[in-house]
Amino acid sequence: MTKNKARRIVAIVLVAAAIVMGIAGGIFLPQRNGETARATTEELRIRTLLDVTGDGLVETYVKIARDEAMKVTKEAGGNMAARREAANKAEEETRALYANTETDYSTIDTSALAPAVAEYAARLEVYYNLTSDAEQAYIDAHMAEAEAEAEAAREAKIAAGEEVGEEKPVTVDMSGFVATPEMEAALADADAAFEDVAAALCGIYPALDDDALKTLKPTITSVVLQQGESFTDLYDRYMAAGSGKAVTAPTKAWLIRYADDLLYGAMALIVAAVIILFYETLSKKLGIPRIVLGVFFILLCFLCLWFDLSLATLLSNSLVRMGMNAVMVLAMVPGIQCGISLNLGLPIGLVAGLIGGLCTIEWGIPGVWGFVVAILVGCAIAAIAGWLYAQLLNRLKGEEMSVTTYVGFSIVSLMCIAWLVLPFQSLKLRWPMGTGLRNTIGLDSNNFKHVLDDFLAFDIGSFTVPTGLLLFMLLMCFLMWLFTRSKTGVAMSAVGNNPRFAEATGINVDKMRVIGTVLSTVLGAIGILVYSQSYGFMQLYTAPRQMGFIAASAILIGGASTSRCKISHVLIGTFLFQGVLTLGMPVANVLVPGSTISETLRILISNGIILYALTKSGGESRA
Amino acid sequence: MRNVNWGKLLRENAVTIMFILMTALCLIFSVEQQPLNFVLYELFGRLSRNAFIVLALIIPIVAGMGINFAITIGAMAAQIAVLWVIEWGISGLPGMLLAALMTVPLAAFFGFLIGKLLNKMKGQEMIGGLILGYFANGLYQLLFLFIFGNLIPLNAPGLVIKGSTGVANTIDLSTERGFKYALDDLWKVDFGTAMYILFGVLAVITIIMLITKKMKPVRGGVYLGVMAAAVGLYQIPVVASLFSMVKVPMVTFMVVGVLCLFNTGLLRTRLGQQFRAVGQNRTVANASGINVDKVRVIAIMISTVLAGWGQLIFVQNMGSFQTYGAHEQVGLYAGAAILVGGAGIRKATNGQAILGCILFHLLFIVAPAAGKSLFGDAAIGEYFRVFISYGVIAAALVIHAWSGVQKKKTAKEALSE
Repeated sequence: MTKNKARRIVAIVLVAAAIVMGIAGGIFLPQRNGETARATTEELRIRTLLDVTGDGLVETYVKIARDEAMKVTKEAGGNMAARREAANKAEEETRALYANTETDYSTIDTSALAPAVAEYAARLEVYYNLTSDAEQAYIDAHMAEAEAEAEAAREAKIAAGEEVGEEKPVTVDMSGFVATPEMEAALADADAAFEDVAAALCGIYPALDDDALKTLKPTITSVVLQQGESFTDLYDRYMAAGSGKAVTAPTKAWLIRYADDLLYGAMALIVAAVIILFYETLSKKLGIPRIVLGVFFILLCFLCLWFDLSLATLLSNSLVRMGMNAVMVLAMVPGIQCGISLNLGLPIGLVAGLIGGLCTIEWGIPGVWGFVVAILVGCAIAAIAGWLYAQLLNRLKGEEMSVTTYVGFSIVSLMCIAWLVLPFQSLKLRWPMGTGLRNTIGLDSNNFKHVLDDFLAFDIGSFTVPTGLLLFMLLMCFLMWLFTRSKTGVAMSAVGNNPRFAEATGINVDKMRVIGTVLSTVLGAIGILVYSQSYGFMQLYTAPRQMGFIAASAILIGGASTSRCKISHVLIGTFLFQGVLTLGMPVANVLVPGSTISETLRILISNGIILYALTKSGGESRA
Repeated sequence: MRNVNWGKLLRENAVTIMFILMTALCLIFSVEQQPLNFVLYELFGRLSRNAFIVLALIIPIVAGMGINFAITIGAMAAQIAVLWVIEWGISGLPGMLLAALMTVPLAAFFGFLIGKLLNKMKGQEMIGGLILGYFANGLYQLLFLFIFGNLIPLNAPGLVIKGSTGVANTIDLSTERGFKYALDDLWKVDFGTAMYILFGVLAVITIIMLITKKMKPVRGGVYLGVMAAAVGLYQIPVVASLFSMVKVPMVTFMVVGVLCLFNTGLLRTRLGQQFRAVGQNRTVANASGINVDKVRVIAIMISTVLAGWGQLIFVQNMGSFQTYGAHEQVGLYAGAAILVGGAGIRKATNGQAILGCILFHLLFIVAPAAGKSLFGDAAIGEYFRVFISYGVIAAALVIHAWSGVQKKKTAKEALSE
């Protein structure tokens, strides 16, 4: 059997499985809002109720057994320790007795319980609706008061010279809220209905006493109440209720609950089949790293759906992070095109941009103009620094990568000292006590926080489109594209592709390399400002050290090599890289709670792709 | 006398000379903050734990692969070995020796892989090694956060902290399960005794060589004279009091000495000649029938294993290490140290490594105090020494690349004439 044939068979099997899953999902998904779903939830509710009460019943038995044991020991003349020990022993025995007794709920007659529960649920709903209405009315009445108080407190703080954090949403103090007479009446109604439920439960479990019922009441209430939740939420809640011991649900209910996951699974299988069928064409067109990361990204999307994480929000976050990082990644383009390969000395530009940002805060220029001034100052510094840097690089052709890395590192650590001694005065920038600037400087609405993100931003469901950020990103890409089409741009990429040929045709190689390096550094300065305005913080000290690597790996993921790149590589690479990181974090947290696995993921992807590019850049030095 | 070309000497040792001046400056400003005998005490401690790993860099440099920043991976191998030795509860010297033994196959295997990869990026070994170190750090985190302590349970107390995933942040070797000071405490003498022992041995060797006429009499005389002068100097109470705090871990320094001999000896063997040949010119070496790729892999393997042992010496002296951070800066500090001593990207000797180690760590000790007395802030000194580490490497790379370009230029000009 040939390899192709085997591949085709696997693909067909996958597609067949996908069709089965898709049909099953398609049939059962619409039933969620139908009669079957409603009946199922009713049934599950009763079962959960019985289960919870059964557990409560065990507690009652335990209590009886303990009392009994205590009494017996006391009569036998045992001291306190002996009595306690006997009680514990009795508890263990009782628990062991009931631990493995599964009640078969379908045999229990619930004809009396079901209507009582339905009635109780209805009255509870009335009560909770009344409560939320009354609370909203209270909040509306007292909102103005609370706002005035918060504002006064804020002003007092500013007057005292204390730090004022970001404005928090004002909350109304609910301690003054009193239940209305209607609410009390509804609650009494509900309590009366609960008596019926209790009576019905006692009919099923005769050993249930009043004490047990009293302690069980909150649990029963929470099981009975359905505040307009969807089928899936109710299903999950009932499955999880009752001390973690799941109630067995009918197969059909399971199918309805997981119908969406079946559909996602079907889609995933079809994607997998397509990849298997067209693997060779794809790998030739895209290259192995992009396929691996692309597949990983799709897999993460499906995992998000599977774990019921909000894919729309996450994709929207990835889009924001793409916009945040894209300009820094774009800074790699002139570097690669002018022949200095990956500009790992990008931190030089980043630091220049940060200084620009610090200046606007120091001068107190708000909003968009602050951002513009920051960019202008940053670009000016970056242009000078980039020019000097280019002079250095022109003297060491062929060894740029390792030199740029360590020059970048040196600049970052030199700037660490500078951040300590630079004469900025604003308390927003300095530590109130001690010397030097803060590690992270929080931006707020008085500075340029979110000036791009919030410009013309709009929502589609839970998917927020950061229009301004994306427009700025596209604008920068377009300008870069225009530049590469210009005479200088064409000459520059000729230098990057083949320096000897370029020199032979009379292009001034050194000049082109200077232009490319300066452009790259300037774009780095703009990039860090775009990043900061979106992130909401400016990070000083060692933070910029690794950013050059992140930007370099993004463009490599996009399909660039160390001597050739296009604007599309920037966009594709940034989206894939940031998308994988953004989606990876919540998925990893579901798989391994509280872990830092997404940070590990970043390290592996970012450095792995650079290593791959280095091995591809040829066994021999390019010099 | 020979005509010494001072200009050339200055240019070739610019980094070292600059560093000596800077260290001297820092030393002057730090004296009021920390007394000299404390500085010397610290220096000997740092030398004993760092010299070995710096010496591990020599062979790849000779083999033309530049500074092997991937020695961090050797350090990781050693830390894996330490973790398991503690888990099994083998303490003291046996534990240390077992860890050293376990490091060999691990580090050799990693070294093999590193060598294979670096062979695919000839001419870019240093940046490749650096990035490879970062990449391996990711794998190391996977191993220590999600495999050890989760999939493979660890039972020793203190290795895993309840409520957090993976191996604890710090691994302590000072408990009864660890091997803190296993090597250092074998034989510890004060400075005077150590000096007498060392000079005694050296004097005997010199005299034997003089008698067998393997050494010129003038040279031997100078050696003996210098030793006698040093011993004489030590008799002055002021000088002796400077060394009052120093305790010399003899076995550790002996191990360092053995490594120096190993480096010298190895370079005299056939394999050593091949290292040199490959280092000087790969094409020529290949033409003369040397398997260049294989020789390079062997060089990296030796370096990685030695780096692992170096890290073991380091942790037994420190008594504990940061599970997720102890290896990160190993390559940076060792690389900076050897460059400070006057080594280049293509040549390095034992002497340069030791001298660099002394200078670099001397600066490390005095920089924060100097920063405090100059600027009133110790943090400036802290950042300054990090800057120096990176800056020294950057400067060395620039100088190396520059001289390469110059050579090519002169060659071109010679051709065109």
